[in-house]
Amino acid sequence: MTNRTRTPRTLSAFYLVCSLLVWALVGSTTAHAELTIRITEGADAAIPVAVVPFAESGSIPTGDKISSIVQDDLTMTGEFRTLAPEKMLSLPSKRSEVYFRDWRLLGQRYVLVGELTRSGDRVQARYELFDVNREERILGESASAGINSMRTLAHHISDKVYEAITGVPGAFSTRLAYVTLQRSGSEALYRLQVSDVDGKRASIRLESDEPILSPAWSPDGKKLAYVSFETGRPAVYIHELSSGNRTRIAEFRGLNSAPAWSDDGRSLLLTLSKDGNAEIYRMDIASKDLKRLTNHWSIDTEASWDHTGNGFFFTSDRSGGPQIYHKSSEGAEPRRITFGSRYNARPRPDPEGKFVYYVHQRNGAFHIARTNLSNGEETVLTRTESDESPSVAPNGRMLIYATKQSGRSVLTVISADGGAAYSLPASEGDVREPAWSPILR
Amino acid sequence: MSLLLHGLIVVVALTGWSWITPKDDPAPRSIAARLITQQEPEPSRVVEEVDEPDRDEERRREQEEQQRREEAERKAAEEQRAREEAQRLEQERERERQEAAAARKREEQRAREQEAARQKAEAEAKERERQRAEEEKRRQEEARRKAEEERRKQEEERRQREEAEKRKREEQARREAEEKRKAAERRLREQQLEALAEEADRQREAEARQQREAAAAKAREAQMMSESQKYQALIRERLSQAWYPPSSATEEMTARLQITLLPTGELQSVKLVSSSGNTAFDNSALGAVKSLSRYPIPDDRATFERYFRQFTIEFNPRRLQ
Amino acid sequence: MNISAHQKAFAMVLSLGLVAGCSSTGDTMGEDEYGSDVQAVDQDGGSTVYGGSEDGGVSSTGLTDEEMREREERAEQEAMRNITTFYFDFDTAEIKPEAREVLVAHARYLESNPNQQVRLEGHGDERGTKEYNLALGERRANAVERFLIVNGASRGQLETVSYGEEKPAVMGSNESAWAQNRRVELVFE
Repeated sequence: MTNRTRTPRTLSAFYLVCSLLVWALVGSTTAHAELTIRITEGADAAIPVAVVPFAESGSIPTGDKISSIVQDDLTMTGEFRTLAPEKMLSLPSKRSEVYFRDWRLLGQRYVLVGELTRSGDRVQARYELFDVNREERILGESASAGINSMRTLAHHISDKVYEAITGVPGAFSTRLAYVTLQRSGSEALYRLQVSDVDGKRASIRLESDEPILSPAWSPDGKKLAYVSFETGRPAVYIHELSSGNRTRIAEFRGLNSAPAWSDDGRSLLLTLSKDGNAEIYRMDIASKDLKRLTNHWSIDTEASWDHTGNGFFFTSDRSGGPQIYHKSSEGAEPRRITFGSRYNARPRPDPEGKFVYYVHQRNGAFHIARTNLSNGEETVLTRTESDESPSVAPNGRMLIYATKQSGRSVLTVISADGGAAYSLPASEGDVREPAWSPILR
Repeated sequence: MSLLLHGLIVVVALTGWSWITPKDDPAPRSIAARLITQQEPEPSRVVEEVDEPDRDEERRREQEEQQRREEAERKAAEEQRAREEAQRLEQERERERQEAAAARKREEQRAREQEAARQKAEAEAKERERQRAEEEKRRQEEARRKAEEERRKQEEERRQREEAEKRKREEQARREAEEKRKAAERRLREQQLEALAEEADRQREAEARQQREAAAAKAREAQMMSESQKYQALIRERLSQAWYPPSSATEEMTARLQITLLPTGELQSVKLVSSSGNTAFDNSALGAVKSLSRYPIPDDRATFERYFRQFTIEFNPRRLQ
Repeated sequence: MNISAHQKAFAMVLSLGLVAGCSSTGDTMGEDEYGSDVQAVDQDGGSTVYGGSEDGGVSSTGLTDEEMREREERAEQEAMRNITTFYFDFDTAEIKPEAREVLVAHARYLESNPNQQVRLEGHGDERGTKEYNLALGERRANAVERFLIVNGASRGQLETVSYGEEKPAVMGSNESAWAQNRRVELVFE
């Protein structure tokens, strides 16, 4: 609070004030419009959240701490900043131990407390989230997981916390698919991998010395479609993750690429060049029937269904260079979406249909940009210069893309509006072609 | 006017005359030339008078002499006339005497002849009598007529005079009345004008007073307003810094909160008067409002009471990326 | 890989030779200079390095002028056919003028050797999106394929495949590397 000093007043001033006070009071009882202060901008900063290390009873597996994982999850979104435990004045684990004044003094808006209890081969977490200023509990839950699934439990808590604060479901329990590439001399090793959203618990699903491209999650999160050159030529495969069973679904002459699942999981959009040049087709997975959706001498590729499931976005260079187009239905006339630069490609719409994200070249550098579909406004979201393969989180709040760090490709998560970036820990070689899974049920 | 004209003419003539002569030009057929001919005697006299005062004096003396002589002659003539009149009267009387003697003689003769010629004379006398009577009557009538005429004339003149007099008086009266009326009217108008002016003055005065009062009130208001605005801006800034709109926020969301403050600037109460429809959003607004330990408020109690005792805060993100 | 080890090695030697021919100084050269260097490779570099003048020298006796010309021409053609990599500008599939003569030589060869199969591998540089580059690589390969067919090769001899940006000839994120990676390679099988 600022210091306020009272200036001495003359007697007449005092009377004036008194009379005006009376007048003001009379006036206020009559009909003067009450003052309205309009707040149109929020803090241009992450929300301060204190994740207090959970109390533990019984033999809790050492290693990953639930609170640390939750902290990292929240931080990754760019929407939160967490308080280091050593700065906390107390380490409460239940409501009665929470002194809101302390947390307010520390500038915290939310406090997450909880405790873990071992019961058999499961760990139970009881946790509560408090709004420091409102002094209210906004979340309280008990959840359990096997002793080897502490990360699953942690991501679940992160999802709940995220939803309680933001009103949007968290996407921390989702998964990522991506391709790593290691080169040694002329040899290349491609690996299709699946991991948690924080890059942990990665598992290799396919290995090839020929390129693997464009992994795409089925809507149920159980299958991946991708392009593999393992035969020396590009072909599209559907890979069931739990069993590892694979189906080569498209191996036409020319290109077989850019698979994208329909909402019902029954069909794929594909780019095929069997009829001369790259066009977009819809393939019914069961019957393998094809329907051609574009017909132009230019390149049409990188299709992705829009949020309605009726229309789709795609890249076409029919204007001379690659640009984003949208067809509101399979038979509709394509409408050009991007105009901001000469190179805009690989559209990925958000789940609400508000934005479309894509690779955007500006001044020789490639960034991730998005266009607001309601007003056509384009925003460049990244400052890095070799950005590729944007993939939107299923809650629409985050975006993962591949960029270059020290000459190597890494994956970076940003908030959907281009906020703070979080790079996934780099493995050896390049990490590329990330695909964010749907929310897994 | 005519004097002025004459004067002008004189001057024009003079000037015309003075420069026409030396130049020896033939008189132009101009108005000036014509005017000169017309008014020649005058300028010459004026010039003579101015140039030869002695001759004038002499002439005046001559005239006086002449007048004296004429007067003497006139008196002599008068005396002559009086003498002649007296003579004539004498003669008249003489003649009357002679006539009376003759008459007497004639009377005597008549008496003599009377008898003789009495009847005739009587008749004649009667006749003469009658004629005389008639004559007399005629004369009398004439005289009476003349007198009557004279009287009538006088009467008429008198009447005309009186009439004129009366008209004049009436005119005078009318004029006076008119003037009076006009004066009255003028006075009335003046009074009215004065009244109007006074009224206007009063109004001006009142307006000026009102304006002064309004200005003072306005100044006070403005002071309060500017104070208010200053603190509104401070509150806005503090709340903007304290507000973390959730990621689900959209530009369509608006949460309205009614705030009641203590005079210390501390939050007394807050009420969600209009929800955004999004709980996280409403909570973010409530959290922001409650996060300020003390609101920046003006020192001036009146301003505080008027604006900051109770007010509304509207959370509505406008610049979402 | 279906390509025989011999042919693969040969092709690699050739392309490496080509690259070496220009990249002895290429790494330190500026971007603008690189362009002219590439042209030099396409036009004369190959013929001076791999030209048939030695053979011509040996068998010069007893040939008519016509035979000489034919021979020289054939030698020239053979020399030209040593060039199997063709470069493209960014985001284009336009065959550069200096590549045409060489591609004509290849077409003639294919025409006269109907059993010869050739695989046209299209590539892009690392810039831009992978799927679009895949399509672009195919467009480049198709452009070369059409050119060869027009000039005598038959469709059955040709096969196209695009690797997009997946198989760069040169590693690196600079104009020099990108220019060498935007290419179509002819792989004789």
